[in-house]
Amino acid sequence: MAAIVEFKAVGRNYGAKRAVDDLNLELRTGELFALLGHNGAGKTTTIKMLVGLLRPQDGAVLVGGYDIVEATREAVSVLGYVPDQPYLYDKLSGREFLEFIAGMYGYDARQAKVLIDREVGRFGLASFVDDLCESYSHGMKQRTVFAAAMLHNPQVLVVDEPMVGLDPQSIRLVKDLLREEVSKGLCVFMSTHTLAAAEEIADRIGVMRQSKLLFTGTVDELRQAHPDRQPSLESLYLHLMNTEDSSSEVPPAGDSHAALGEDAKSP
Amino acid sequence: MSSDSSTGLTLHRHSVSEEAEAQLFWRMRLRFARAFMGQLYRTARLRSTLIVALSLLFWSGLFVLFQTGFYFVKHHVGGAGDPYHAQTFKLVFHLFFASLNLMLVFSSGIILYGTLFRSPESRLLMTMPARDARIVLHKFQEALAYSCWGFFLLASPMMLAYGIVVGAPWYYYALMAPMIVSFVYIPCSLGAVFCLLLVAKFPKLKLAIVASVAMASVVVAGRAIWATVNGPQIELFGNEWFQQTLHRFQFTQQEWLPSSWLSNGLLEAGRTLPPSAETTGFDLPIVQSCMYLAVLIMNALICHLMVVNAGKAWLREAYSTVECAPRQRRKIKVAWFDLLLERMLFSFPKPVKLLLVKDWRLLRRDPIQWSQFLIFFGLLGLYFLNLDRFRSQGNDLGNITWVNMVSFLNLAVVGLILSTFTTRFIFPMISLEGQRFWVLGLLPLPRETILWSKFIFAALGSWLPCAALILASDLMLRIDLLVVAVHQFTCLLLCVGLASIAVGLGAMMPDFRESSPSKIAAGFGGTLNLVLSALYIILIVVCTALPCHFYLIAGRGKLSETFMHPDQWRHWLLYGTVAAILIATVATVVPLSMGLKAFRRLELS
Repeated sequence: MAAIVEFKAVGRNYGAKRAVDDLNLELRTGELFALLGHNGAGKTTTIKMLVGLLRPQDGAVLVGGYDIVEATREAVSVLGYVPDQPYLYDKLSGREFLEFIAGMYGYDARQAKVLIDREVGRFGLASFVDDLCESYSHGMKQRTVFAAAMLHNPQVLVVDEPMVGLDPQSIRLVKDLLREEVSKGLCVFMSTHTLAAAEEIADRIGVMRQSKLLFTGTVDELRQAHPDRQPSLESLYLHLMNTEDSSSEVPPAGDSHAALGEDAKSP
Repeated sequence: MSSDSSTGLTLHRHSVSEEAEAQLFWRMRLRFARAFMGQLYRTARLRSTLIVALSLLFWSGLFVLFQTGFYFVKHHVGGAGDPYHAQTFKLVFHLFFASLNLMLVFSSGIILYGTLFRSPESRLLMTMPARDARIVLHKFQEALAYSCWGFFLLASPMMLAYGIVVGAPWYYYALMAPMIVSFVYIPCSLGAVFCLLLVAKFPKLKLAIVASVAMASVVVAGRAIWATVNGPQIELFGNEWFQQTLHRFQFTQQEWLPSSWLSNGLLEAGRTLPPSAETTGFDLPIVQSCMYLAVLIMNALICHLMVVNAGKAWLREAYSTVECAPRQRRKIKVAWFDLLLERMLFSFPKPVKLLLVKDWRLLRRDPIQWSQFLIFFGLLGLYFLNLDRFRSQGNDLGNITWVNMVSFLNLAVVGLILSTFTTRFIFPMISLEGQRFWVLGLLPLPRETILWSKFIFAALGSWLPCAALILASDLMLRIDLLVVAVHQFTCLLLCVGLASIAVGLGAMMPDFRESSPSKIAAGFGGTLNLVLSALYIILIVVCTALPCHFYLIAGRGKLSETFMHPDQWRHWLLYGTVAAILIATVATVVPLSMGLKAFRRLELS
């Protein structure tokens, strides 16, 4: 199956600091990929390059076959993006905001109504969708942004910390939604600190540390690489991070699996 | 194309044309504006009415000022047809619009930088299939509106006053609006293009370049102004001075400047031909004026294209550069003036001292706060230091009257500016503390201490610079020692009263949901604080100024024996002082005690 998202030797600096270094990664349709890492590891920079907010200094990012720099509009047309800090227009209602988004993706008013009704039902927005967004709680905003991201049936959904600020019921809703959409062929790229959620719903995980992607694979593959550790993702992740922290040098991206053991292989 | 399984519909996505995209953005903006206006009407009528009324007052004041000035020129310099008349108006128009031309370039560039690169809306739009040029245009329109409202407020009364004074024909008024709109588009577009260019291509030099150009402009303008006003007073406004001034500001009349096209177009439109004049169609003022308008419109359209293409070419690159700029960490050391402050506050209880030092540190480490304070009070200081033209000359009653009036007006101005600062910075302090209340609320100190510390901070912090400014004004005016004492006493009453009103109202009407002090100040509580503060200033200044003023001029004029005997006014001086003290006591005690009561009962969720 052809990759729908491709990072090809991607690199990006913040001033003199390397934020993402030599990132090579491919994601396929019908796959939920969770990117893990400490604060400052490079997760958000990776996401920003994927959605077109930042330009890679080295390499290329392809979405649906389109280069995000050369064909930005085409590339972002196949994307839906849920940022960690949801932004809505304070003085628009949720419905007006969704109408604006639908218009941006080329739907006429009749089609927009159908799509908005679908998302309102799916995310439970009915009780507040006609109120001004400035009165929304963080959870309401997050659900509205999810609705906006899913409105145009994207092929790739990029979510940055989707569980933060949500109540348990909304978290369940998001997890179920993501799995359901993935089963229909959606590719989800999720950055999170919620290891339990990643363990529960991700098909594959990636672990970043200090700008480098240390590991890509399934949680099972990570377990096999560390049979002496407890099997929870939390335990494995912390072990991986602590092992890397204690080493004097971060291994090059290509050699990352060596640090994990020969069994850990990227699919 | 996508199919919706829940409804069974097959949905077709169309590629969005540029026109449709523009309509979409405008529709969104109109909805936004409608919701904003509706909300303003429902929830902020007092503030809106106050803003409109004060803007109208300001506009009318400017109109009267310009009209009086233009009548003065017409009657004293020369009427229509006189060479001095034409030269003077030309100088005024070119100088005025050339200055605004430069300011618009800077302001639109700076505002665009903030609205485009620092706003979450840009981040949202850039992750959607909106054209880069459209995103830039959308934010540019915002910057244009923010940059231009000041221009409209300044230029429209001037243009209207000129038209009335010179008896301009109808088309002068008809051409005013299109000329202004097409003119402002040019410098604002240039500012936007420079902003994008600097951020995308010279990210490391952008601050240095902007600062150098701004500095060079200030130096050139400053030199020209200094050379104009610094000559001996006897030569001021003489023929030679006038010619030299014209020559000095000749650079504002360069034909390539958009401000020259606007000035010439307006002056041509306002020109009336004598009935005997023989002119061909091409020389008619309306034709000449329309030609300048055409030049303005064509250049504005070219500038529009430049913004569109700059946006298309540089937006993403510039955005990446700004996002990835290294963020420097600020290393904080204990400054000597913090230690000095701690020593100076030795008489206060330790918790109050700690709270005062904390508030002081927050203030001095936030340049947005103290820079505004510095700019306004610095400008006032400059004005006060240039008051020597009013210096008392002998015992001339007219001069004494003026000097006294100006000195009290200065006092009122200091008070009014202080009231805007207490509204903007002191009033929101309690609301902002609410978000940190988990720290302060758990400290082993009575809640009142927090409020008292705010009051002391505001009163002390405002009294020192205000007293110094008023002293500078009085010294420059060389006024009577009695008036100096009255001014200092009034200043103390003002500072204490204003601090109490701001702290008290801030505690009575806190807004713990809002994190922006400017938004807290712009709410109902802030507006009420401003209105009450202004009333308080007027009452105090009237109570202390009027009796003092009449006492000083009593016995010096012809009416002294019957109406203005100094003995009578000595009593009034006393009554006025007592009244001022009473008002100040009420204004200090009532809001503060009400604020303390409200603060004790406050429940933070």
